[in-house]
Amino acid sequence: MAREKAIEVTVNGITHRKTVSVRTSLADFLRDHLYLTGTHIGCEHGVCGACTVSVNGKAVRSCLMLAVQADAKQITTIEGLRDENGEWNEMQKAFFENFALQCGYCTPGFLTSAIELLRENPDPSEAEIREYLSGNICRCSGYQAIIDAVQAAAAATRAQRQA
Amino acid sequence: MTGMRISNEKSVGTSVLPDEARPLLDGEARFLNDISFPGMYHVAFLRSQYAHARLRNVDVGKARELPGVIKVLTGADLFGKVDPFRSMPNRFSGGESVQHWLAVEKVRFCGEAICAVVAEDRATAEDAIELIEVDYDPLPVITDAREGEKDGSPLVHDTCPNNYLIRRDYKRGPVDEAFETAHLTVKRSFSIGRKQALCLEGRGCVAAFRKDGFELSVWMSHQLPYVVRHYLAKHLGMAETEIRVVAPQTGGGFGQKASIYPEEFVCTYLARMLRRPVKWVEDRFENMVASTHAREQDIEVELALDKDGRILALRSDVWVDVGAYSTYLWSAGMEPLQTGGLMPGPYKVPAFQYSTRGVATNKTPVGPYRAVGRPSASASLELLLNEAARKLGMDAAEIRMRNMIRQEDMPYRNANNLVHDNVGYMPCLQMALSKASYDALRAEQGKPSPNGKLRGIGVACFAELTGLGTSTAVGPGTLLQPGRDAVTLRLETSGVLTIAAALPSQGQRIATAMRQVAADETGIALEDISCLTNDTGMAPYGFGTFASRTAVFGSGAVIQAATELRRRILALAAFLLDEPEDRLAIVNSVVQTVDRSKTLTLRDMAEHSFFSAKDIPMELNQGFEVTAFYDPKHGSFAAGAHVVVVDVDPDTGAVEIVRYVAAEDVGRLINPAVVEGQIIGGIAQGVGEALLEELIYDEQGQPRTVTLADYLVPSALEVPRIELHHANTPSGALGGFKGCGEGSIIGALGGIACAVSDALAQRGGDIHEFPATPERVLRGLGVDFGDD
Repeated sequence: MAREKAIEVTVNGITHRKTVSVRTSLADFLRDHLYLTGTHIGCEHGVCGACTVSVNGKAVRSCLMLAVQADAKQITTIEGLRDENGEWNEMQKAFFENFALQCGYCTPGFLTSAIELLRENPDPSEAEIREYLSGNICRCSGYQAIIDAVQAAAAATRAQRQA
Repeated sequence: MTGMRISNEKSVGTSVLPDEARPLLDGEARFLNDISFPGMYHVAFLRSQYAHARLRNVDVGKARELPGVIKVLTGADLFGKVDPFRSMPNRFSGGESVQHWLAVEKVRFCGEAICAVVAEDRATAEDAIELIEVDYDPLPVITDAREGEKDGSPLVHDTCPNNYLIRRDYKRGPVDEAFETAHLTVKRSFSIGRKQALCLEGRGCVAAFRKDGFELSVWMSHQLPYVVRHYLAKHLGMAETEIRVVAPQTGGGFGQKASIYPEEFVCTYLARMLRRPVKWVEDRFENMVASTHAREQDIEVELALDKDGRILALRSDVWVDVGAYSTYLWSAGMEPLQTGGLMPGPYKVPAFQYSTRGVATNKTPVGPYRAVGRPSASASLELLLNEAARKLGMDAAEIRMRNMIRQEDMPYRNANNLVHDNVGYMPCLQMALSKASYDALRAEQGKPSPNGKLRGIGVACFAELTGLGTSTAVGPGTLLQPGRDAVTLRLETSGVLTIAAALPSQGQRIATAMRQVAADETGIALEDISCLTNDTGMAPYGFGTFASRTAVFGSGAVIQAATELRRRILALAAFLLDEPEDRLAIVNSVVQTVDRSKTLTLRDMAEHSFFSAKDIPMELNQGFEVTAFYDPKHGSFAAGAHVVVVDVDPDTGAVEIVRYVAAEDVGRLINPAVVEGQIIGGIAQGVGEALLEELIYDEQGQPRTVTLADYLVPSALEVPRIELHHANTPSGALGGFKGCGEGSIIGALGGIACAVSDALAQRGGDIHEFPATPERVLRGLGVDFGDD
């Protein structure tokens, strides 16, 4: 089997053509080949959720996906969350205003998961938020401020849509 | 003090949004693993597969031949070239342990580093690790403290009889008489499993050498950069001025990143030897086996009480499995001495006795972790108070009130020799009970449950000594008295203020807190103040962030430095504006007369004083940089009371926390939202400690919990919404501040443990071992697992 493979991946709107070792994880590819170090590695076995990125619109553990599997895919990382005007999206804003991060290591994964939640369910209850985010571990916050932030982002997004 | 201080709005006491969080939300913060240099090598460690073994032969030949491998370093290569880690002196030391940076002759726990491989990339370094052949000669293994202390048990260190790294016997007051004459005596056992901090980001370092300026620059995911610098200089035989230590963005610390470990020191050695930058980043497996663990205690605790439920004497025996080595810097005394010594908590204990042991075993060393020693000390006593109350026909809250140190008793010296002052234990308990509608909860508990679950209510009160000054050692018996820290305030030539301190943040928003204090103290606008907390190349001396101290020390030092800085600013401004100092004030970064008829921006003043100083008398232009040390002398007691309601499923043993009410006294608040985050985060870790988290070893000393699939930390589903209330009493420290980082985990273990025990009591059951896993809960209800 070939040890290296050429891939074409679009990350945060920019298409990259790279040759990677076939054993390179998507997380390492993003961090070491594209220098997008905002994606954090917490456990390398898919439990903690810190490395979660969006692949073709779905939240994915980038430590459990190989870079070669991302060939021809569209990826969004934390570095790509600001809108076209350079403004924070509602989730980033809500995390900031609700003190929803302390050390911030888990934050990229939480933002990705929470944004996907609101895409699927624009008005989640607290129980639904807790269930949806139960695959992301935060060791600092006790989750309460994160839940509050997701609710605030949901309310802001709904208000925008109505406006 | 000259000059009035006019401030329209106080910054302290408001939830200022933390600018320091912004880069984290953009993915632009720089954590350790985000730092790289051209030509940087990568390090991986070969770790022992045995808990206890003689190293007969370590063959690194094949590893050295692998393309891309630069260097393979063994314990023999380091032996005699660097000083190993000898246990720090402790008055209650049982014997000395010597930890080599890479094992020499023997390995003493699974995961101990044996070799370091340096390669061009991490994957190659790990490939090379696989090629090293180690010939182990297994030795008898100790995995239990109470076994390990027995005469004739195999020794982890030949220098430590009975495997004691720590042993203390303390007695004060008429303990024996109290137990002989008491109306009631109660006794129970308590145990808590081994756990770990589980920072989401593991340890790691980048060490870079250059024969110019700082010879050795080290970026390390660590809580104490100056302490690291001191010990690097000592162990590498370098001058401190040749070393710079920077703690970059740090993904959690909780005490685990406050110890000195071999791996980072090996990396600094390699960087010097190879003249190239090297990087090591711990993976999760390494973090589970090679970063310090915590807890693992067995406690037997006894109370003597009078007929009114008042404590006459407290007596305890404590065994702590402290692992294979005395954790460097803090010693193995952390858990055993604090659990034994701090057990009385917020209660009046007139006579007190304990025996405590830190027993060496063939497991990962135990080091500091959030609220060292106190959660188990508190929970074991809280559970015993419940038992006493039941026997006296008294309510659980009532017996606590009868024994609590009250405001009118203060200052109050307890039998463990600690003085309680400026702390509101009763207000916390009263607030927690009232906010929880405790009486209604009890009434409801008496009714039959609609879902067949057992309802339990737990009440726990705690005392937490924070912000320790030089008069209090950080752990009993240790020589470490890190009671002074410095802050430098520097008015830059553009008129903005820089705060520099070696008080790194692992998410506690230290910079924001110090900026808030400085804004109030100087009159400089918050947006004109920045704060550096992590770099020995820029900050004055400081011990760092641990032991619920940073807000107290940082703020105290800011207040002291600000007093002098304001004096200098106003003296010069008085000269430049030709006004008496006492008519001047600094408001929003502008010096102005009280009637605002004359103003001078700090920018103009600072530029003038630096670039065009010809006309300024020298005595008025001493420079606008002030360093002040702060030593609060004594510590400040923080307090809390938690009321926890659980439902226990008698069929599955599952525990659900249905309500959680906490009332806390953490002194004057700097940034309430930040403080609440600290308290709620501590409770969440307490949920893990009480119900989920346990590091398990088999009888061969093999760790069985080395992934996050085996070691269960709470998710958003297990942590309930916390109803948090404040019952704050200002401390005696400058600004009235107290620490708030650790206390709540104490109340969480006690509160949840009492609630589970209370639930089981409804069926005549009880629980003594924690975490309260479903199996232990079912055993507590008398379910027979058919195993004995």
